Amino acid sequence: MKPETKEFRSKAAQTLKNKTVLQSLEHVYTGFHEGRLKAAADTPDWEDLRTKGKAIKDHTIAHLDYYLGLLADNVEKNDGHVFFADDAAEARKHIIDLAHTREIKTVIKSKSMVSEEMALADALIEEGIEAVETDLGEYIIQLAGETPYHLIAPAIHKSRQEVAALLDDNFTVGDPIPGAGELTMLARAKLRAVFERADMSVTGVNFAVAESGSIAIVTNEGNGRMSTSVPRIHVAVMGMEKIIPSIQDLSTMLRILIRSATGQRISSYITMVNGPRKPDEEEGPDEFHLVIMNNGRDKLLADPQMRESLNCIRCGACLNACPVYRKVGGHAYGWVYPGPIGSVVSPVLTGLKDAHDLPNGSSLCGACHEVCPVKINIPRMLLELRWRAAEGKSDPAERASSMKERMLWKSWRIGMMGRRRFDFGARISRFLMRPISKHGWIKKAPPPVSGWTTTRDFPLVAAKTLKQRLAARKKSVDANRNRP
Amino acid sequence: MTDRAKFISGVTTSLGHSEVHTPSPEPATAFSDSDEDAKLKAAVALAVATDRANELIEQMAKAAENTGWQVHRVSNPEDAAELIADICRGYDATSVLRSTHGVLTDIPLDVAVRDTGVTIDVTESTDPGDTTDSSEREEAKKAAFSADVGITGVDYAIAETGTVVLHPRKGLSRLVSLAPPAHIAVLRPGEVLESLDELFAMERADFLSGTLSGSMNLISGPSKTGDIEGTIVTGIHGPLEVHLVILGNS
Repeated sequence: MKPETKEFRSKAAQTLKNKTVLQSLEHVYTGFHEGRLKAAADTPDWEDLRTKGKAIKDHTIAHLDYYLGLLADNVEKNDGHVFFADDAAEARKHIIDLAHTREIKTVIKSKSMVSEEMALADALIEEGIEAVETDLGEYIIQLAGETPYHLIAPAIHKSRQEVAALLDDNFTVGDPIPGAGELTMLARAKLRAVFERADMSVTGVNFAVAESGSIAIVTNEGNGRMSTSVPRIHVAVMGMEKIIPSIQDLSTMLRILIRSATGQRISSYITMVNGPRKPDEEEGPDEFHLVIMNNGRDKLLADPQMRESLNCIRCGACLNACPVYRKVGGHAYGWVYPGPIGSVVSPVLTGLKDAHDLPNGSSLCGACHEVCPVKINIPRMLLELRWRAAEGKSDPAERASSMKERMLWKSWRIGMMGRRRFDFGARISRFLMRPISKHGWIKKAPPPVSGWTTTRDFPLVAAKTLKQRLAARKKSVDANRNRP
Repeated sequence: MTDRAKFISGVTTSLGHSEVHTPSPEPATAFSDSDEDAKLKAAVALAVATDRANELIEQMAKAAENTGWQVHRVSNPEDAAELIADICRGYDATSVLRSTHGVLTDIPLDVAVRDTGVTIDVTESTDPGDTTDSSEREEAKKAAFSADVGITGVDYAIAETGTVVLHPRKGLSRLVSLAPPAHIAVLRPGEVLESLDELFAMERADFLSGTLSGSMNLISGPSKTGDIEGTIVTGIHGPLEVHLVILGNS
């Protein structure tokens, strides 16, 4: 997927204008968020689970090379095939080649953010292979020709009327709008036919268990199960960070993932795959392929300040909790991963220079850190990225600040660093600001600081500094005290 | 260097190491548990499942209801068979598929269902060992997609989450609990584990030895989606309704 992180501001502004979408989404996010809060409250050892989840991920990532080798060994031991892809293009090519050599006609796709990185469905279609998204949200998004809006609720911004227009060829605007139930049954019928003819499936991976070479897929809809039951070839794609060491770690990770994602205690289906079907089984894939992709994750790994972001288990809790995401929407972030976690990984994976507005698009309120099931300190990393974009000290090519901006802040700093300079600055500021202020406020500042007042007013610097006022007060108090 | 070796050595470099470091034991993960530890955990899980069977059944019934199972309690095999036949009748079923779970032959199920005029088939290849025959597999798939009800036992159940665990294998097809619009699972006391912890503790040895079947399914309620305006709808891909029949003391 081609990053469009540069357009964060303009796309955010677009969403902000759409009041109806904003209103309906507020309801959804609140539902998810409150569901998570309730699930956490109902789980007596919730904080211990988070601590354990973080420890498991910290440990795995610190030994990622070891566990990758172990995982690959065990998948092969289970008669599966492993392919290591350095980037999205390599992974995509491998899957397309596989589809061609196996003479595949129809591919069913289960929800996978990694496959979004590859823009896999479109690539397969270009090759003349039918590729259908089977998660209902992803299916709707595919019909609309868009990208997912939310990590776990991809089509959450679509109204029933829009969905009806996409799903039902006979629907015209003005017709009574079908209910969600009716529309879901329509999609069921359409996708059933696709499932029946599918000869290859591509799914994501929620967790890959190194010690047993198995993968876990979590769904509520059951498309993950269809994908591992019907087609003769199953390809699972994963980012290289998705590993956990032991099968027994799954209970911890599943508990925190599902509760954080939807507030459920468990999803309808958790499917574990241990290679292809056994010889005496009637159903199941003849071939199992696991594609493990890097695609820039090594940059996160090599960066001590950013490594923690590889702990992410893609639950989406930080999105639902984020006051900025809730307003600017999922498409504003311009790449596969939206919201707070997207603002941390997209700049590193796709380039900070274009994406520098993402870490700026945060109030640093800390809600994302508070809800994260593996305690990722997202605000810390947002600040780190802001610093890098402003100063360009870690990598000059990443610097996104303008000369003007840097000069301004540099003079600010000089002014703030000495008492006399500060006092002089305060006096001269008031003098300069007074002509453009009204009733003590500046509503519209002139360049080069005009940007400051586009969305807020700036108060006029007070006539007396705090120090002067304190001195005056002390004087009058002393005077009173000395009165006979 | 192979692609794999190159990839992994790149990861080693990114970690700032010159060679792969073998992990030292980490208390958070069970990875470093010895075989004895693992066996002990599994034995404890099994003992708890037996000792607290009745209590766990009650917990299971409650949790299952919360995740969307329709829970039925029956005290004897005849009643169970009759109840299941009734459920099939309620769906106007004409074709019913079932697994070879022992519990389904312990109750007079086939007779009861056939008495309602329904065909009941068993999900077992007629000619075992010949399942690579694609036409036969095509038949099995068609049968599952056109069946009205799928009936299975359980391999385990999990009280914490109201979950039914199934290991697809010969005699228990992957689709029997998924493709038909209704799924009925029959549960007996002693088959219920306390939580996911016990499940994975018990299954670890099988997972590691590779003796496990190609897949495992944890099923908690009907297929559901909230993808259209956040409204929860059941039955998007899998069953619209799921029934848990608990056989034994009630």
